[in-house]
Amino acid sequence: MCVGVPMRLVEIDYPFGVAEAKGVRRNIGLQLLPEGEIKIGDYVIVHVGFAIEKLDKREADEIWKGYEELLGLMEEGDA
Amino acid sequence: MVEGVIRQIRELIPRGKRLKIMNVCGSHEHTISSSGIRSLMPEGLELIPGPGCPVCVCPESDIINAIELSRRDDVLLVTYGDMLRVPSREGSIISNGRNFRMVTSPSEVVRIAREDKDRKVIFFSIGFETTTAPVAAILETGMPENLYILSSHRLTPRIMEVLVMDSEIGIDGFIAPGHVSAIVGADAWRVFPERYGIPVVVAGFEPENLLLGLLELLRQINDGRPYVGNVYRHVVRPQGNTTAQRLINKYFTVSDVNWRAIGNIPRSGLELRDEYARADAKRVFGLKEVKESKIPGCICDRVVLGKAYPDDCRLFKKACTPERPKGPCMVSIEGACNIWFKNR
Repeated sequence: MCVGVPMRLVEIDYPFGVAEAKGVRRNIGLQLLPEGEIKIGDYVIVHVGFAIEKLDKREADEIWKGYEELLGLMEEGDA
Repeated sequence: MVEGVIRQIRELIPRGKRLKIMNVCGSHEHTISSSGIRSLMPEGLELIPGPGCPVCVCPESDIINAIELSRRDDVLLVTYGDMLRVPSREGSIISNGRNFRMVTSPSEVVRIAREDKDRKVIFFSIGFETTTAPVAAILETGMPENLYILSSHRLTPRIMEVLVMDSEIGIDGFIAPGHVSAIVGADAWRVFPERYGIPVVVAGFEPENLLLGLLELLRQINDGRPYVGNVYRHVVRPQGNTTAQRLINKYFTVSDVNWRAIGNIPRSGLELRDEYARADAKRVFGLKEVKESKIPGCICDRVVLGKAYPDDCRLFKKACTPERPKGPCMVSIEGACNIWFKNR
């Protein structure tokens, strides 16, 4: 339930936007971040379709790397 | 790096000592179980899954009310996928409900209500702070008149305080949930070191980050100087997301609510404020609290409170499986029983 994924903002029409990660685009809500604090290209954590916090690219990449390792482990476990 | 952290963790557990570290987030338990972290821990260090699953603690009364609402011709009930399958004595929404639909986001709920103008759309909304904030967001942007919220939102710090007071559990430290903390702020956990002497570390969800959090917790315990650590600093600020907090406070008020199989916990839930009663399904549809029944043999309540592990339950993997769940902890992908079933 509290899974959140880092995504990059590619469109903003406040309080709505479009974010992208791993080639997947998703409409998201931006109400939980002040309008003046976000711009296209920013990285955000998206939870149930809403950006809940900002983070920088390096951190977003690190989180994705960790998730991918975990997914790899889970696939091994399923095999 | 991971090997180094694990070695340091091992060195920090003195022989003969037993420590209990609790996580309160299904996603943390997922990482711990699927990455095998638990099996790498030294003897004497117990990693306990706690109340990290909002589906598991949603009272039976709300589920029965949701089933009944979905049976009305003028209603469409919408909720997250896991909620459709949670058992009650009246069955589950999927087995005994009629008009229902699964959603993955509150924005989807708004879209559905706009498209389905002739019906009353009721969002059976559950979750901790991270999932409450988006609901406050749709209220802020403006909800269609035919959309109602059945709120079963719960507050994480309150249940953790209840656990600390329970001497049967004996918690030595908390791994605080990363995304709940993003909303409430790392400072929200200061009550634990300051009032109860219990260390807390906010951690993220990758195995490496979680291990770093664990290491920092053990160092605090060893030094005898508890504080709130934060190894998920790039997402969680000390004061949290103040915009989200403001919106939650604008639309919701704290109330005394039931937790499934656990009972009433004062000031542990959120309901819509009087000003927004028009959107409150409980008030608009005059829902009554239904007395809860006990699921024979199920120990979900003890699992949620960290008093038992899933495999302590005699139903686990036998009468109770993800395909045929008897208790709520086996239904949700955040439930400890479901996670343990898939990883053992």
